[in-house]
Amino acid sequence: MTYNHITYVFFLFMLYFISCNRNKEAVLQALAATVNRDPTASNYVLQDDSYLIPNSYAQFKLFTLSKESGRNTAKYFINTYPKYFQKDFAEPHIPCLMPETLELEIEEVSEAALIERIQLRKVKAAVDMYDQLQQSGTPLSVDLTNDLLDLICLYGDQDPAPEQGSDYMENVQPSACDLRLKQIWVLENNNAERIFHIMPERTRRSYGALIRGMVKYGAYSKAFDMYTDMLNNRLTADVHIFNALITAAPEVREQIQEKWELVLNLLKQMAKQDVKPNLLTFHAVLRCLRRSRHLAKVFSVFNEMKALGIAPSLATYNLILGIVYKQGPFAKGHTEILEKVLDEISGKSFTPQDPDDGMISADTYFSLLLETHRPFVYLIQSSCCSWRFFSLLCMMENIDVVLKWYKELIPSLYYPTAQGMRDFLQALDTDNRLDLIPQIWKDIKQMGYGNMSDMVEEILSLMAREKQSPESISNTILMIFLIQLFFFSFREMLNLFKPNNRVPPESLMNDFLASIKASNKAQQAVELVQISASFCLPVTPSLIERVQQEFELTEEQRNVLTALESSADMSD
Amino acid sequence: MAASFSSQRRLLTTLCSQLNGALWLNSGVRSIHSTAVCNKNRAARIRVGKGDRPMTYEEALPPHQIAHRKGWLSHHTSNLNGEHGTADRTVEDAFIRRFIYGTFHRCLANELVIKRRGNMLIISALMFQKMPPRKYYFFIGYTEELLSHFYKCPVKMEIQTVEEKVVYKYL
Repeated sequence: MTYNHITYVFFLFMLYFISCNRNKEAVLQALAATVNRDPTASNYVLQDDSYLIPNSYAQFKLFTLSKESGRNTAKYFINTYPKYFQKDFAEPHIPCLMPETLELEIEEVSEAALIERIQLRKVKAAVDMYDQLQQSGTPLSVDLTNDLLDLICLYGDQDPAPEQGSDYMENVQPSACDLRLKQIWVLENNNAERIFHIMPERTRRSYGALIRGMVKYGAYSKAFDMYTDMLNNRLTADVHIFNALITAAPEVREQIQEKWELVLNLLKQMAKQDVKPNLLTFHAVLRCLRRSRHLAKVFSVFNEMKALGIAPSLATYNLILGIVYKQGPFAKGHTEILEKVLDEISGKSFTPQDPDDGMISADTYFSLLLETHRPFVYLIQSSCCSWRFFSLLCMMENIDVVLKWYKELIPSLYYPTAQGMRDFLQALDTDNRLDLIPQIWKDIKQMGYGNMSDMVEEILSLMAREKQSPESISNTILMIFLIQLFFFSFREMLNLFKPNNRVPPESLMNDFLASIKASNKAQQAVELVQISASFCLPVTPSLIERVQQEFELTEEQRNVLTALESSADMSD
Repeated sequence: MAASFSSQRRLLTTLCSQLNGALWLNSGVRSIHSTAVCNKNRAARIRVGKGDRPMTYEEALPPHQIAHRKGWLSHHTSNLNGEHGTADRTVEDAFIRRFIYGTFHRCLANELVIKRRGNMLIISALMFQKMPPRKYYFFIGYTEELLSHFYKCPVKMEIQTVEEKVVYKYL
């Protein structure tokens, strides 16, 4: 609510200034300025409560995944007991809020039953129904058999796993396909091959289904055998078959040169059969070139693509940059490629055409940023890039820019690692902005790194390094309280002052004593007095007096104090 | 009381119908149906006791203070002049309250506040910090999905957590 209030007041101010300026578009600009991303708010899927806001990336992932699993539980109940969810209040009808009908309705052996199973993606049930239809002798149309083959080859002869995840899950698990176990083409008693062989007539579509299925699930040499079989039956292939074969080509040959020759061979056959290549063909060719070292081929492929009038998509640039920068992210000679690519990309909108469009690899991103310092704001959404982006910023940029991005990104958009915070502290150190350390320390504690001893040591060493102005001292003292209340002893802390030839100020010692009083540890008070005596501070006598008065001391401690007092008197 | 009355009545009617079914069906008996006594001057009021029972603001103020010192727990426009669906909204509210009470078992710190905006249903709840946050998110996702499918409208939950019961008065 307060944020709304602030924007409202801000809007009023803008209106006031606009009326002074009489700029025609100022009203629209003012309105647009009020609708921004709120950098203080967490992700919209989370609850806005301090107990329920995550502090680290691990927590964020945990919470979003728990919410998602809650949703899956609800979906399970809805789909298991659909009769309670049938009453339709909504006008107009909302189909996504009705229970899903995943149950098979038609039981008798018929073509309609087979069609229903294919539509519901039930692979095994469809194959059984087909076999039953074959046994009963019903003639089936070629299209229907082709549909069945498509279904089997798409899912690799296994029933598909239940779908999961909604939009925001894509950010949390960007590579869900890696998590799924890679299925392989079933070698023994493969249903697709069996049905294929008993088909009375096989069309290009049937061959296509089988070849693409084989390539998808790793049976590459079989795919090529199927292709030669197809050519022997005097059928021509279409663009999808060729794309699949080009993707499979690097797997069936050993030497790089042979792989490239096979790909060229396929492309020549494609031209001979008068099949036009599309964007995915060129992507397949570029993927083959991933391990080669000849950059000239990459550029010739790219030029041919342009010559044919196929517009390159994001995945094209990703592949090209991946190949170019594979030799090492610091290959200076190719900076101009990056510049050209960036100039091409900026200001354009891309429609996704290849599954890889969304994923720009971390290495290319890293090298992009290194060379050009132009961050890709839209890519910040995925956390794998964000920490690199932020560490690069800390290394390269001015402290003001770093702080601006810090306020924008953290912690609403991404949660830095301990290393990221250390980089940030180094950036602060380089630019002499150590007075910001108290606020940064608050953030560090909130993120849960406040108990890491190396982090705390680094902060303390940074604080001790600089001669600080009086205003900042009180802040730092406050911070020291926070730290020492947790686990440091004074001896360790004040030891940090010694090697750097800094003298702890008087107010510091007084405040230390006050805090010791709060925790009422007499031994620590005596230690404090000993340390101040070792520094030969002028405040030592008054400290001794205070300790004697305010604390309950044992005999031994009293003796120590009187010894110190007398030595202090003597030095005066 | 009401339960024992109705069960006795049921026993009586079954006995009679078993004795002489056809005769009873034709004659038709009218009997008085009464519930237990619920006085309106005792509803939702906590009587002053020894002073050791902690009460929240919501519980401590009696219902005649609604619109004076209290707000409403259920916000919808069906109670306005000329609007339809009053009873439906009330029944939905009752169901939602029981559902959330059961799902977030012993976590609710106060009564739910149910708001309707457009066709959205927003459930605002105040909860104790009894469970770790991931369990809260699990139940939130579950509730939102289930109630959305049940009522065919988007359901959102807004949860605020407190450490312990926010006491206003001791009665």
